[in-house]
Amino acid sequence: MPEMTLTEKIFARHTRRDTVRVGDIVMAKLDMILGTDVTVPLSVEVFRNMGAEKIFDTDKIALVNDHFVPAKDVKAAELSKIMREFAREQGVKNYFEVGRSGICHSILPDNGLIRPGDLVVGADSHTCTYGALGAFSTGIGSTDLACAWAIGELWFRVPDTTRVVVNGRFKPFVGAKDLILHIISRLGVDGAIYQAIEFTGDAFKHIFMDGRFTIANMAVEAGAKTGLIPPDDITREFMSQFPDIGGEYLRSDPDAEFTRTLDVDLEEIEPLVAEPYLPSNVRPVNEVKGVKIDQVIIGSCTNGRLEDFRAAAKIMGDHPVHPDVRLIMIPNTPRLMRELLKEELIDQFVKAGAIISPPTCGACIGGHMGVLAKDEVGLFTTNRNFRGRNGHPDSKVYLSGPEVAAATALTGRITDPRELTKDPDYYC
Amino acid sequence: MTKPMKLQGRTRVIPVANVDTDMIFHNRYLHITDRVEMAPYIFDNLKGWENFPAEAQEGDILIVGHNFGCGSSRQQAVDGFLALGVSALIGESFGAIYKRNAINAGLPLIECTGVLKAEIKDRDVIMLDLETGTISGRNGTTLITGKPLSKVQTDIYFSGGLLELTR
Repeated sequence: MPEMTLTEKIFARHTRRDTVRVGDIVMAKLDMILGTDVTVPLSVEVFRNMGAEKIFDTDKIALVNDHFVPAKDVKAAELSKIMREFAREQGVKNYFEVGRSGICHSILPDNGLIRPGDLVVGADSHTCTYGALGAFSTGIGSTDLACAWAIGELWFRVPDTTRVVVNGRFKPFVGAKDLILHIISRLGVDGAIYQAIEFTGDAFKHIFMDGRFTIANMAVEAGAKTGLIPPDDITREFMSQFPDIGGEYLRSDPDAEFTRTLDVDLEEIEPLVAEPYLPSNVRPVNEVKGVKIDQVIIGSCTNGRLEDFRAAAKIMGDHPVHPDVRLIMIPNTPRLMRELLKEELIDQFVKAGAIISPPTCGACIGGHMGVLAKDEVGLFTTNRNFRGRNGHPDSKVYLSGPEVAAATALTGRITDPRELTKDPDYYC
Repeated sequence: MTKPMKLQGRTRVIPVANVDTDMIFHNRYLHITDRVEMAPYIFDNLKGWENFPAEAQEGDILIVGHNFGCGSSRQQAVDGFLALGVSALIGESFGAIYKRNAINAGLPLIECTGVLKAEIKDRDVIMLDLETGTISGRNGTTLITGKPLSKVQTDIYFSGGLLELTR
């Protein structure tokens, strides 16, 4: 049997074939199909126009309220209503209502809806996040979503793979976000277009699930269909929360063919920032420091997990948010909110002058709960800084990890967390 | 419905790289689910192209740059062009989800490296052969050749969209 990549193996298992090769067009069976309040309503219309009546499997569909919730206006309320009524009518088991919902890319893994080896699609471009568990997981549009609901299969072109081999250990104040920004700056925003990225190497012995989700999440910002991390003991430990659901722990064969290999040494990565208006405009924070910032956001499907808030808390200590800065923090799920309450981090953040937002993609997409005005500048831990995405077309967004974001929230200017913690006025 | 494999239309050349889905159809209009209603909002967040919908003509062929349609999984960023009567997109490259969405909607999409450097001006009339990927001028001279439609693309295009094929 020819040697296969992780991606080829997953497709082979979902097409009941022994092997598939890069470039093959296949009809493949889907394990999980995600939709959200902003993509589902269009799909419901397509589904009805197709003449479809029933979804193919009530267990394999997830519908998540996360983009414009709590409803930002009447139109948004109508979108959620369409999704809610469709979920009831079809008996969808994995429907997530406001209060029990959260950012979809945390909600699905945290509820055991993704297994290693799965083939997953979602009508949200950051569906690639689940690659962190060793699933092939990719974003689709609303027509695909409706067809997937109806028949449980979709056509795919089996993609080739760029392999990224990461070695070494993170230096202090450097994390998963800096790593993925570094990789995107080297690949470019279309450097891995139509490909899968496989992240591998010894460094992953020390990169835990929260960081892995951050890395896989931004594969799409290099143009990739997905970003996979071969499942290992860290994956097994995460999956042990769900002992009954199984999963296939697959790896690329030793002689599998990769389109190219990129080597990364973590020792060479510093805290980074992506300047407007592309996630690939990456520079060391030292070269950008001093830029005045109006609003900092810590959260999103990229960086809204426990490790992110712990990293921010460590830098913030007892210090207040700078008077000219609005710091918005968005824990991704209700479960995480409770964890942050238990660790007394919410108390620390609110005391410092931050606002804690309910889980929503609103600010990340310039929808609501933190939109920027003309000429305002934000520094966000989110994933995209395209012109006009986060508010007024003349606003600007810098992207960073939670360490740089927390340091910047304290000073009001883009700040290197390594320098801040050395400052004699900083008593942390 | 018979679909032509040879198209003729007026070009609109948009020589901008990384035009993302929020520039094509901003998320503030996501409540719109009717294709015709999407049309007026196309490119309202792309500086210099805000008048595109008002100027659009049936059969227009868009010539676009690298990574066109990167970003979100936004079907409206394809459907809006169909509503405006755009007959095809020719680009240096396309965002992966965007490409899929266009294929599924039956909107022909041709990848053509170097198209922005070819002798094609905004509002020229060109002919596009989907079967061969050949782009030629009004007098029939070949200007440049892109990748022809793949079999899946052709099948879905002839069916009038994935929806029809799946039905």
